[in-house]
Amino acid sequence: MRERVVTVGDHLPLVGIFCEPDADRVSDSKTAVILLNSGVIHRVGSCRLSVSLGRALAEHAGIATFRFDFSGIGDSDARRGTLTANQAAIEEVQEVMDYLGKWKKIDRFILYGLCSGAFAAYRTAIADERVLGTVQLDGYCYTTWKSHMMHYSPRLLSPTRWLTWLLRKLGLRKVKKGVEVSGIEEQFFEVPDFASYPPKEDVQQGLKTLNDRGLDMLYVFLGNEHYKYHKQFEDCFDDVSFKDNLTVIHRPNATHILSEPEDRRRVIEAITDWVNEKLPAY
Amino acid sequence: MASVPLGAPNKSMNVPRAKLQCDRESILEAFYFGPSESYLFGAFHPRQGASRDEAIVLCNPFGQEYLRSHKSIRRLAINLASLGYPVLRFDYRGTGDSAGDITGVSADQWVTDIGHAIQELQDMAAVPRVALIGLRLGALLAAKATLENDQVSRLVMWDPVVDGSAYVEGIRSAIVDAQPLGSRSRIIASDGTLHFNGFCMPPLFQESISSWHLEDLAPRVGVPIAQIMSHESETFARLKRFLSSQPGFYSELAPAPHDWNYVDHVGGILWPKPVIDAIEQYFGRTTSS
Repeated sequence: MRERVVTVGDHLPLVGIFCEPDADRVSDSKTAVILLNSGVIHRVGSCRLSVSLGRALAEHAGIATFRFDFSGIGDSDARRGTLTANQAAIEEVQEVMDYLGKWKKIDRFILYGLCSGAFAAYRTAIADERVLGTVQLDGYCYTTWKSHMMHYSPRLLSPTRWLTWLLRKLGLRKVKKGVEVSGIEEQFFEVPDFASYPPKEDVQQGLKTLNDRGLDMLYVFLGNEHYKYHKQFEDCFDDVSFKDNLTVIHRPNATHILSEPEDRRRVIEAITDWVNEKLPAY
Repeated sequence: MASVPLGAPNKSMNVPRAKLQCDRESILEAFYFGPSESYLFGAFHPRQGASRDEAIVLCNPFGQEYLRSHKSIRRLAINLASLGYPVLRFDYRGTGDSAGDITGVSADQWVTDIGHAIQELQDMAAVPRVALIGLRLGALLAAKATLENDQVSRLVMWDPVVDGSAYVEGIRSAIVDAQPLGSRSRIIASDGTLHFNGFCMPPLFQESISSWHLEDLAPRVGVPIAQIMSHESETFARLKRFLSSQPGFYSELAPAPHDWNYVDHVGGILWPKPVIDAIEQYFGRTTSS
């Protein structure tokens, strides 16, 4: 495995690390995995997940990977322009794909992302047919009647919950927010902006488009109070006729930032196995 | 994991580098340097405007603190470069974009990495002296590196970890406290490795920092020391009293209260701008000579 620092673009370039397998271990020289930022964390990823995953894919799947910072995150300077962050993300991933195409003759891509990175992977896949696969950790999904039941039933049957609810209604118990929870004043703390979660119908339409195109999709859902059971994604988008191009993994005991070593290891292993399985078809 | 053939240590000018001339505010040269078996990611910010004969190496903290301070460390580097100081920030081996993982790594090796960074920066910027700025555990490591590298001209400690042993014990007790809650991210492995908020600290690393204490190291540091704090604590106050008689000692409280070990569920990062400003002002009005 070999890593090198790469910058993409002449003015206000994007900074990233290209990681390629040893020459005798290359399984597919025309395909690469691009790893996208999660929220405001720089390209190494939550708990260094992107570094570990990028290297594991190069070593165990024989495929090149590129982890980079979107403009305004990590080591990439902010670019001035009129695009929204969502639009800019698509353009920047396409810029990276163009660059890798010219430099390494790579013309097929799998996009990986966690949370906002997953959202960017999904949107870019819709915009660009060079994307043959996405790996989305906590990607777009919505509640179903079953998830509502699973979420609210235990609460309805819990006397403690009822008491808490009553105390709040009476103003005797306050809901802690922001600095009261973190102990950190807002001005010293920066969190991702999740204001642009799209309507379910839009995502359903997007998934239909991607499904018709045969995009391979691996979704991993982590511990999340709104993702309650393994088949929730398929139930949520039951208008989309997924075939064997969809794989869903649910790890309900893992946190959203994958801070558990065992879950991190299992997720990396699952993604590497999935890429190994999909690569021969590309 | 195979290593990257990047040439021998300190021969970095032969290594392909990514140079970014972004705008007047931020010029960055990103590259790998150091020994091929433990290559290090470096981000060099060349001096702008005034030319000073002192450069600055920034020393990262450990674990989540590293992730959550990346933006602050980068901003500090940009601001110091604009004052005329060439600046190098880098990732220790087993962290960030540098080689390998932390298994089998000792804190002494991170001090060695600081030495590689000092040498690399001197080669790049052609300066005789290098100041070290360390954040949290990085401050303790920087103090140790100051004793081992004659080129170091001054030491700036930002919210320093004062006692290596207490630091390890603090992590260990946080893990123990989390066990009744069923935590799976705060655990102690059978070999003694501490897993804390998504990062691990192996036994060798724990042992190596456990004997380090700033009250032992700092009196032997023969260069000016500055202590910049984001909040007040008895530990900081005691260190300040201890160092106050040392020639060139400077201390400043730049209030930006926060908890370095608070981890939220969406990966929020810390942005203690008053501290960044205070360190910039310290370097703006003082020189090492």
